[in-house]
Amino acid sequence: MIESIQLRVLQGDPIVHDIHHASLPPLFRGKPELHSDQCPDGCNECQKVCPTNAIQLHPLSIDMGLCVFCPLCEQQCPEKAIHFTNEYHLACSSREQLVVSDATKNISPELASEKIRKYFGKSLKLRQISAGGCNGCELELNALSNVNFDMGRFGIEFVASPRHADGIVITGPLPKAMAEATYLCYDAIPSPKINILFGACAISGGIFKDSPELNREFLNNYPVDLFIPGCPPHPLTFIAGMLDWLDKK
Amino acid sequence: MISLTVQNHQPFAIKNIPILTLQEFEGSVREGMLTHARMIGLFGLEKTQTETTVIAVLSNPSTSSLHLVGTVFTAINNRYNSFAGVHQQTHYFECELAENHHIIPEGHPWLRPVRKQTVVLDKQPYSMYRMEGEEVHEVAVGPIHAGVIEPGHFRFQCHGELVYHLEINLGYQHRGIEQLLLNTSAAQQNILCESITGDTTVGHTMAHALAVEAISRTTVSLRTQTLRSIAEELERIAMHLAGLGGIANDVGYAIGAASYGRLRTLVINSSALLCGSRFGRGFIVPGGLRFDATTEAIELLQKNLSLVQKDVSTINSVMFDASSVLARLDHTGTVSGEWAKSIGMVGPAARASGIELDTRSQFPYGAYRYSPLPLITLSTGDVFARARIRSLEIDESIRFIFEQFENLPSGSIFNELQPRAKESGVISMVEGWRGEIAHCVFTDSQGSWKRYKIKDPSFHNWYGLALALRSEAISDFPLCNKSFDLSYSGHDL
Repeated sequence: MIESIQLRVLQGDPIVHDIHHASLPPLFRGKPELHSDQCPDGCNECQKVCPTNAIQLHPLSIDMGLCVFCPLCEQQCPEKAIHFTNEYHLACSSREQLVVSDATKNISPELASEKIRKYFGKSLKLRQISAGGCNGCELELNALSNVNFDMGRFGIEFVASPRHADGIVITGPLPKAMAEATYLCYDAIPSPKINILFGACAISGGIFKDSPELNREFLNNYPVDLFIPGCPPHPLTFIAGMLDWLDKK
Repeated sequence: MISLTVQNHQPFAIKNIPILTLQEFEGSVREGMLTHARMIGLFGLEKTQTETTVIAVLSNPSTSSLHLVGTVFTAINNRYNSFAGVHQQTHYFECELAENHHIIPEGHPWLRPVRKQTVVLDKQPYSMYRMEGEEVHEVAVGPIHAGVIEPGHFRFQCHGELVYHLEINLGYQHRGIEQLLLNTSAAQQNILCESITGDTTVGHTMAHALAVEAISRTTVSLRTQTLRSIAEELERIAMHLAGLGGIANDVGYAIGAASYGRLRTLVINSSALLCGSRFGRGFIVPGGLRFDATTEAIELLQKNLSLVQKDVSTINSVMFDASSVLARLDHTGTVSGEWAKSIGMVGPAARASGIELDTRSQFPYGAYRYSPLPLITLSTGDVFARARIRSLEIDESIRFIFEQFENLPSGSIFNELQPRAKESGVISMVEGWRGEIAHCVFTDSQGSWKRYKIKDPSFHNWYGLALALRSEAISDFPLCNKSFDLSYSGHDL
């Protein structure tokens, strides 16, 4: 008993209290800051090295749905026109919003519909589907329930059965072998339900997008409510995105 | 045995691999395994319209040597005598070869699909093993599991609570990584290796980088080697803490789960100090590193690790002393040393069963050549041993990192890669936190990749989990599963 209390004392206060103003390590790569006015004529160094073809030129833009935040473009750019900032607020509600350009200031999702906020604003249970996820995204989603991030305090939790869930969080590029299971799981969730894509693989196929072993048809058939970019996304990106989307303080 | 003998990370010309007749090939592989070599690869190297050249790779930990030998199969002569009846460790490799190249092991005791559920391996479609009888029942779990975890299908044959047989059916994660690695840019290959299994990013990128560097005869500085090993040990500490947290959670020891979880956050945030990613992504590249460690980062990292060292020893002593915890861990999911050896288990799971196997000390590479780590083994092979060994490895890894920081060599962190040797190969073995990772890499006449074969430690150990469940209560499955902590994506590729 005494020992357990000692362990509890050791724990201290590890929780991230302020989800919106946490400080991350200096090298953490979040929202890219772009300066296309610095691009020299005819230069396409960044585009050449990008492993997922996430970069477009004239004007310079990065598709965070494809980006794996590997920093090659930042390191390759002769003019320092690309810089990955510490900003971890990256979640958004449309695919187009993920394309970052010079003009992009703050990224935040549009508010969820009134119905969704009314139904799920106070309590949201999610079922996670790992469809080819490499366990990077899965570990970060698991980290949401640890003592540091403790997403449960906002009423958002992962549950075992789709019957108990209000929506799904998909990780991974959706291999053929997971196609059927993904449909079955989604169909087992009562409506209204939400669909969240977590990580570059889920959003676009990421580094696997050209693999013949994928079947991403599911995403053509069902709308996506929230995109969480990253490889893997930081847990705070997920929580901050959910809070913004559901208008929770 | 007749074979080409090489060292870990030693490049060789493909033409030096002896290509034998089938009979000689079988004899040579058998002879190798009788002299305590382990199979780490059996795969098709080249395929023409009519012929497939198959290479067997054996490793002998007692002599730190690797042995390669090959033979040629044709569409008509596509059968050989299975080794698996005597040497169970080859069972899964033979299944994989059958699935990928339709080369059939004659007399194989249990020919089953590895990654493709619907493939027909020999004459008829595979159906899962099934026990019949009064009050016998079958429990099917997955592919989607209860937790936030990768997909796989488990089927238990039970009588009451007792499991008689567990069959593990994987392949849901198959993304075709080995194929993708062949026709992509160097940058893409590195990202692909980071994603073989995202929890062993450092381990797999290390194996990839060492393979590429060996085949292009590029040397890296001591500083690079040391920082790489520090990253590798950080990954080991982090994942061992995650595993211990999972085990604490599965036995209902909440304070343990919470404490290990908090410490893991500290460790992975320390990895982010080095490279910006909590999983070591973007750190190791062929030729060196993408980031150098700054003085501030090193100071902060050491501070974090001192805290982890202090707290983890307190938590370990409390948890491994609590009778309520020990009652659940002791004698649960036992894999005897004899079984572990015969099925070729690797990593902490094998060491927990008393098998002396650790790539870092038997096939040393990078900084481990100068600063050896002790090879720790336990003997009981149960969940307790698998948990305890991870706690002991955490202590050693922390000690290792502090030792490295004491005299961190200076030097450049990146050397340009030389052109790759043509028609050559290299076997790159690395000790990931789960155990032995092997990347077997071969180039063609242009120096491009001809074959990239990956073996994650999970490839061996899933069968160990199935054996651990024999005569166990089905309710102990989550605990046994967590104690092995295996990768689905690393297996499925």
